[in-house]
Order: sequence, then structure tokens, then C-alpha cells
Amino acid sequence: MNKVTQENVRELLRLYMEGVGTQKELKLLREYFNTASDLPADLVSYAQMFAIIDEETPVPSVEALNRFSEEQMPAPRRHILLWPLLAAACIAAFAFIILTPPKQKNDMAIAYVDGKMLNDKALAMQIGQEALQEIFSNGNEEQQLTDLFNAK
Amino acid sequence: MLLGITLCTTAQEGLQINEAFEGKVIDKQCMQESLVKGENLKPYKLEMLHTVKFAAGSKDREKLNALFTKDMEERISDDDSNMEFESRDGYIYYAIVQLTDNKKGRHRYICYQCKKKSSYYDITLVYMEGTASLADLRKTFKK
Repeated sequence: MNKVTQENVRELLRLYMEGVGTQKELKLLREYFNTASDLPADLVSYAQMFAIIDEETPVPSVEALNRFSEEQMPAPRRHILLWPLLAAACIAAFAFIILTPPKQKNDMAIAYVDGKMLNDKALAMQIGQEALQEIFSNGNEEQQLTDLFNAK
Repeated sequence: MLLGITLCTTAQEGLQINEAFEGKVIDKQCMQESLVKGENLKPYKLEMLHTVKFAAGSKDREKLNALFTKDMEERISDDDSNMEFESRDGYIYYAIVQLTDNKKGRHRYICYQCKKKSSYYDITLVYMEGTASLADLRKTFKK
């Protein structure tokens, strides 16, 4: 169907109105209604419809759209994204805690006397020194003789 | 406090005689104990000194003797520079033993003394760590 005639235009219109017409048939219909000069009364309303469809809708330019959006849209709020900063701070703090070697609490002096724990540095040192002096002095003959005498 | 002293005795872990330091042979209530670590021991070239002194009956003395004897297997050598030892009637009278180092340059020593009293034994046990050699310790503590 290369040219639509008055005879078959009604059939094409029916298909179009039912939504089953093809693009090619639509093109034929538009051509027909653009060129037809003496339309029967029942087709005039269709001619008006195709005239409206064929009118080119003015499309605004990109610049105009941008300008419009700038005018209509509220000024964008400047969001300072805090969460990346917070995340970075947390990671840094965590790394610092993990990577910093713990300060070893090396200094300690505790004595335990008569069932009581005493945080007494001088006493703890005294007990420790006396124990060592006693043991290291065992090699002395005089000390050994004293011990032997005391043991009897 | 108790937690502190427990944590700090871990250096002796693995030693048989640790049982005595932990109060498993003689109750801690009946002991005189001292635990010193850090700066206080710097003049003696030591890092840790743990001593216990208590009175023990013959059975406990036997057990302590056995525990210490087992630990002596870890000694560096029988050489005089690493060890002092004297026994009487088959029991250790006194011993100063350098153990194999568990950290490079840090020496470990265990010492034991058992003095017979009229009805009990007076026992002293020492564990110490540091860079001091046995010669250094003799020089410092021998009367």
C-alpha cells in the first residue's frame, strides 16, 4: 500500500485508532491528510487531528532549559560531608592505638608479709636483698660453720 | 594487687619451682615474699627479682628439693661461672643456678637455700632476671 485512497483510508484509520497500525501506515495516513483536498465530511475531523499532530511542538533550547532550572531550583545547599572525615579520624585513632607499643609498666616493688600485701618499695627491696645476701654468703666458710653449729 | 603479682610471675612460668612461688607448696599467708621489677634493680643489673622465704616441714622440703632439682636440668653448665651448689645428706643445702636464657642477653637465675632449724627447715627461694653475670651478683651480694 503505497498510496492511500479514499476507499481504504477508513480501514487504515480503524487500525490506527485501535492501536494496531504500523508506523508505515501512520506515515501514509499523514501524507494522505496533508495532501487531500476534498475530504468527505466523516474524515474532516481526522484531518484536523493529523494537522495538530503534525504541528511541530517547539522544543526549548538547552540554554533556555538550564536558565529555567537555575531560576526555579533553589540554590544548592553546600553539604560538607562529615562522615568521610569522621571515618578517617576513627581509622587514624585506631591505627595509633594499635601501632603504638604499650608503655610497659616495668617498675614494681611489692612485699608480702604476714599475709598482707604491701606496696612498699623499701621493704620489698630489703627483703629481696637480704634473701640474696643470705644465699650468696653460703660459700663463706665462716657462714657454713655457723649454719652447721645452729643446725645441731 | 594480687592480680599484679600473679601477672608478674609469668617470667617463671615453665619452671617447676614456680609452684612454690605461687603458694602451691606452702600457703602464701605463711611466706615472706618480695617482687621487684624495673628501675629499682638497675644498680644490680637486674630486671626482676622475686624472693620467697618460709618455714617448711620435712615433706614439703622433700617436694621443694625435687622441684628445684628438676629445674636444675635447665642449667647452662656445671661450671663454677654458671653455678654454685652444695648438698648435705642428699638434699640441696644451697644452690645458685644460671638457667638457659629465654631472651638474648637476659640471664635467668634460680637460687635455693635450705637451712635446718630445730624442728623445721628455713627455705629461701629466689628467681631473678637481668644482664648481671654470676660474677657480678657474687660481687654485689656476697658478704
